[in-house]
Formats: sequence, structure tokens, C-alpha cells
Amino acid sequence: MKDMLKLGGLLLLITVIAATALAAVYKVTKPRILEQKRLVLERALILALPDADKTAIVPVKKDDKVLYYRGYANPDTSKFVGYAFVAYGQGYSSVIETMVGVDSTGKIIGLKVMSQMETPGLGSRIEEVKYGEKTPWFQDQFHNRNAAKLAVDKDGGKIQSITGATISSRALTKSIVAGYKILKKEISRN
Amino acid sequence: MSAIKVFTKGLYAQNPVFKQALGLCPTLAVTNSVQNGIGMGLAATFVLVGSNVLVSLIRKAVPAKIRIPIYIVIIASFVTVVDLSMAGYFPVLHKALGIFVPLIVVNCIILGRAEAFAGKNSVGLSFLDGLGMGLGFTMALLILGTIRELLGNGSFFGVPVTGASFEPMLIMILPPGAFLTIGFVMAFFKWLENRKASHV
Repeated sequence: MKDMLKLGGLLLLITVIAATALAAVYKVTKPRILEQKRLVLERALILALPDADKTAIVPVKKDDKVLYYRGYANPDTSKFVGYAFVAYGQGYSSVIETMVGVDSTGKIIGLKVMSQMETPGLGSRIEEVKYGEKTPWFQDQFHNRNAAKLAVDKDGGKIQSITGATISSRALTKSIVAGYKILKKEISRN
Repeated sequence: MSAIKVFTKGLYAQNPVFKQALGLCPTLAVTNSVQNGIGMGLAATFVLVGSNVLVSLIRKAVPAKIRIPIYIVIIASFVTVVDLSMAGYFPVLHKALGIFVPLIVVNCIILGRAEAFAGKNSVGLSFLDGLGMGLGFTMALLILGTIRELLGNGSFFGVPVTGASFEPMLIMILPPGAFLTIGFVMAFFKWLENRKASHV
């Protein structure tokens, strides 16, 4: 019994020391981690709304949750260029998160896959940049298309899918259509 | 064993991957590119060196009965440090390695060295042992990553090297390619060993 208390106490002491040290590391790295997340979001917004001024992309929130973004061409938020929203699609091995920009008619003006963990060499080619090119060819296909009427080639649409099974291509395409539907609902509500 | 030998044995003679066949799960999983392999290798090396030194420092105060939970707490703490720092300073690598960063905790090389070496030897030797084993692990991942990325993606460190006429063998960067590659590389090292033995 005495032995048990002694060993337990020692273990407790060690875990307390470890927890304290980790708390310190967490405190130091937390602002950096948040900054990295913010940078990912900012870069995606710039690509989704290429004509918007960087400082004039305004989040529209409900209870602290960002519903969508409104982008303007000038820093004083005049001249509206479009909306941006995050589309979530269940792919083969991950949720594909894409920032999508549309103008007021629903035409896609830009997009950027922010997060995906699809199979390397297959599904993850939704982010593939071909040799000598600068932008991912799969995502480029979406530009100037109507966000409400997207479909991959296998489903009779115009989006050329990346590989045979079409899982990731379809997931991304469908997530944009679904995300745009939600966006329209939110806009009409406000 | 001399200090130099303590360090170098991890590189070849007792290489954790090729000779001891330890830590194969992360080895197979993350070596689809050179960058991922080196990132995982260096992260594991940091944890290995840190935990070896700390385990060695407190080895006389640790009761044998609870040494394993204590080792695990120490290892998990170093892994968390790596995980948080990587997320803050190398977000691309952190994203690519994904779940395998936190899983360094259960990498058997690390607990293995704590138990087999650091718990019984001086701080200096434990440091060298950890560094040698860590670099041996990194080297193994580098070899596998190079072969797989070259054949499976036609590139080295993300830079295309084979040109457009080479059709990459996709299977090499998928899980089966990991098993194929490690099989051939291990067979090669075994062959070297046998050849050496027959010459003596």
C-alpha cells in the first residue's frame, strides 16, 4: 500500500512537470499556429476573389461563425465584386475544403483547395500543377462556370475528372454546388 | 563499446529500420516523398535524442516498476513539442505528415532505446546513441523516399528530374510501393552482409 502511494505520487509529480513544460511550449507556439491558419485563409481568399482588395474582404458572421465573405474592389468597401464561401466535400480519405469565389450571378471567379488528404498520385491531383504551368489545371476548369450547374464529365457535365473513379473530382464539384445553394439561402435571409 | 561505436552502430550495423526492422509503420507510411521522409526522420531524431538524454539523467531515481509509464510521459512530451513547433513553423510539412507526427509516441525505436540503452548508460553515451539511431532512421527514410519519389513521381525533393517522356509508376508512391521498396532494400543489405561474411 505504502509502495503504491509512493510510486503513484512519483508518477503524478512527473506528469505535473511534463504538463507545465508543455503548457509553456503551447503558449509560445499558439500565436504562430493561429497566424499560419490565418495566412492559409488569407491566401485562399485572395485566389477566390482575385479582383477584390485584400483589405476589403468582409466576413459575414452569425454567432461568431463565418457564413461567407463579401469582397469589394476598393478599400472603402465600394464596388462589390463577389462572395466567397468554404465548400466541404467528403472525398475518398478526407474532407476536401475549398474556398470558392462567385460573383452576384453565381459565376465562379476563383477557387482554392485549402485542405485535403486524398490519395497521393490519385485524388490529391486535384491540386496538381502540371510541369511548366503555374496554376492547378483541375481547379482552373471551374473558372467562369455557373456554380449552381456544375458536374463532372461522367455525370454529363463539363468538368474533366482527374482519374477513373472520379471520387475526389466529384466530391469537390458537388461540394461547390451544395455550398453555393447554402450561400444563396444565407444571402436571401440577410 | 567506444563512444564512436555507440554513435555509428545506429547508422549501419544496427540500423533501426534495415537491421532491427523497428519503426516500420511510419517508415512505410511517410516515405512517398523525400521531403516527408527527411521531415519524419529529423522529428523522430529530436524526440529520440531528447528522451534518451532525459531518461539517462533520471535513470537512478526511477523505480523499475514504473519506468515504462515514466518513459512514455517523457517521450509523449517531446513529441508534443515537435508537433506544436512543426504546426507553427513548418505548416506544409506538418500537413503532409499528418497523423504520423503524434504517432511518433508509439514508434518502438524510441521506447526501445530508452529501455535498452538510456536507462543503463551515461548521459553522454545516451546522447550519442540517440543521435546515431535517429540519423540511421532518417537515412533509411531518405533512401526509401528517394527511390519511391523518383520512380513513382519522377522527381527528387519535389523537383522533376526524369522529364516528360517518363511515365511515373504510380504504385511506388502508394502503400504497395512501400512494401516492395523496403523488401528490395533489405534484401540488398542482407546480400552485402552475406558477401562480406563469405569473404572472411
